[in-house]
Amino acid sequence: MKTIRELYDYRTMISSLIKRELRGRYKGSVLGFAWTFINPLLQLLVYTLVFSTIMRAGIEDYYLFLFVALMPWIFFANSVAGGTSCITGQKEMVSKIYFPREVLPLSYVTYELVNFLLTLLVVIAVVIVSGKGLNPLALLCLPVVIIAEYLLALGLTFITSSVMVYFRDMANIMGIITMAWQFLTPVMYSVDMVPEELRGIFYLNPMTPIIIAYRDILYFGQVPELRNLLHGFFLSLALIVIGWFTFGKLKKHFAEEL
Amino acid sequence: MQAENAIEVKNITKSFKVYLDRGETLKEKVIFKKRRKYEERKVLRGISFSAKKGEAIGLIGHNGCGKSTTLKMLSKIMYPDSGTIEMKGRVSSLIELGAGFHPDMSGRENIYINASIFGLSKKEIDQRLDDIIEFSELEEFIDNPVRTYSSGMYMRLAFSVAINVDADILLIDEILAVGDVSFQAKCFNKLREIKKSGTTIVIVSHSLGQIEQICEKSIWIDEGLIREEGKPRVVDPHYLEYMSEKEMKRVEKKEEKKAEKEEKTSKDSTDKKESEENDSKEKAIEDGQAHEKDDKRWGSKEVTMTKVEVLNEELEKKTFFKNTEPIILRIHYESKNKLEEVVFGIAIYRSDGEYIYGTNSLIDTSKTDSLDGSGYIDLKMKRIPVNSGTYSIDLALHKSDGFNYDFWREVCQIIIKNSKDEVGVVSIAHEWEIH
Repeated sequence: MKTIRELYDYRTMISSLIKRELRGRYKGSVLGFAWTFINPLLQLLVYTLVFSTIMRAGIEDYYLFLFVALMPWIFFANSVAGGTSCITGQKEMVSKIYFPREVLPLSYVTYELVNFLLTLLVVIAVVIVSGKGLNPLALLCLPVVIIAEYLLALGLTFITSSVMVYFRDMANIMGIITMAWQFLTPVMYSVDMVPEELRGIFYLNPMTPIIIAYRDILYFGQVPELRNLLHGFFLSLALIVIGWFTFGKLKKHFAEEL
Repeated sequence: MQAENAIEVKNITKSFKVYLDRGETLKEKVIFKKRRKYEERKVLRGISFSAKKGEAIGLIGHNGCGKSTTLKMLSKIMYPDSGTIEMKGRVSSLIELGAGFHPDMSGRENIYINASIFGLSKKEIDQRLDDIIEFSELEEFIDNPVRTYSSGMYMRLAFSVAINVDADILLIDEILAVGDVSFQAKCFNKLREIKKSGTTIVIVSHSLGQIEQICEKSIWIDEGLIREEGKPRVVDPHYLEYMSEKEMKRVEKKEEKKAEKEEKTSKDSTDKKESEENDSKEKAIEDGQAHEKDDKRWGSKEVTMTKVEVLNEELEKKTFFKNTEPIILRIHYESKNKLEEVVFGIAIYRSDGEYIYGTNSLIDTSKTDSLDGSGYIDLKMKRIPVNSGTYSIDLALHKSDGFNYDFWREVCQIIIKNSKDEVGVVSIAHEWEIH
């Protein structure tokens, strides 16, 4: 509780760090901030080319089917992969200055969230242009899904970034895990394709209900199942709590280990 | 916690694991599991102190004594293994300057980032912005990217942010050496101002002068324990003396080793001469040593100084003197034959090479002396009226025409302390009279 109040006092630090990351990302490039929009559009172009001409999947508008799930997935994967080194990467600051350590993972994942929200504008624009149409009621559920995914990514980053301080293989291991994780999450296929007897295990994956909810809202244009939403939210909450306490326990010796 | 105290530290201990062979990665951790030995090194073995509100205390001690660790624990970067630390109010630490600076962003933007890391909110930074910019003297450059700054400008900006963070407790680690002399003076005045307004300050510094100027109390930490605590004027000299003794011991040891080595090599070389086979490498070393010896000492050696002692009035060996204290140099000599017309000379240099004083017995007494056999000469100085610093002494025995018997450069070092805050090279006896 004390830490949460303190984090509130350091809110300016969190926002400054996010701003610094955002400013720093495209600094010096010609197109600059426009890359935030160009990047997903180019990805979309590639998927469309590949999946509607070369590798025809048996799913209608497969490019869109993939796009609405892949962008949220990339947000998650980037948060965890980049967030893992957010403490070790700020060695000087952590070992010399006091601030609530939670600031670092929090600002990193939030920075990725900001990027994702901008990407989401592109996604929504594409959905509209594709003629699929948007269901306003379904769209209202979108913030809930985003928050669930944000909490999940944050919870996991709390764990990986604090473990990373003591165990430097974490970054490499997380690289492999997120790669495998992507294939075990219904990003490129639908959950119906999974054999019935394995589906139970699939739903233990906290990203499964989240990706399904994104696809329900943006691809099928329907309100996600309440059971699915609650399921996703519950798993996210569990992870953020575990992450918070793990981080709280490990953070005391950061300065010595770095 | 007592009401008037701002900081109370009770019996804190801390040990670090020092890995002798540390496996950082999984492979190393698994394969070399048994090799992962580490030593528990006790850095702090139970330190207690307190600081009243508005008081400034200085932590002194040699490198690795635990003073910086103590400061890190005060700033909550590290936590003690046992014991408690209680602090009242907002703590700000000047341990790392310029944290979070982004080279591509302007000075102004970096002020916001840096100050926010110290825990200031946007509103608080807005209020201080003008003060910070004014203090840094970077008005013209404040909207340029920081990468265009010189390192001095960079540090000035960083320091200005740090010092303008209002705190109830300010922790400072060895950073007052920022910028040019006038900026340093400004920082110092600012610190005084901060202190006056009721901020409690803890400083870790090697510059005892700074501590004496601002602190009411010095705490000397040695081997993880408080060795002495009290007024800086009292504690600091003790610390200095201890350090110079340690240095002397180190030098003596080195000399001993060198002498041993020399003996050995000369023996070796005579051995080798017999075999007529001289290792060129060894010879080079030998030559080097001979050369070094020549550098510091030369002369015909008809009379030599065998030993030089620095004594106080009670004839105790010392290296540390107040600039009001008498100093006796006892020069032991040995001459092979009776020598006439011998002159004794001395020169005193400050550690930066400044020639402070020189004289000889001929100048002083207009006559020469004769020496025979062995004995000692006492040079009694009532005081060396210079400012605080380290001074080295050259001694010489020579003939009145300047022919050197034994000239010895940097025979010994003495540390002189001026207990007053005077500045300049010498301390001139004086008084003020108002008419």
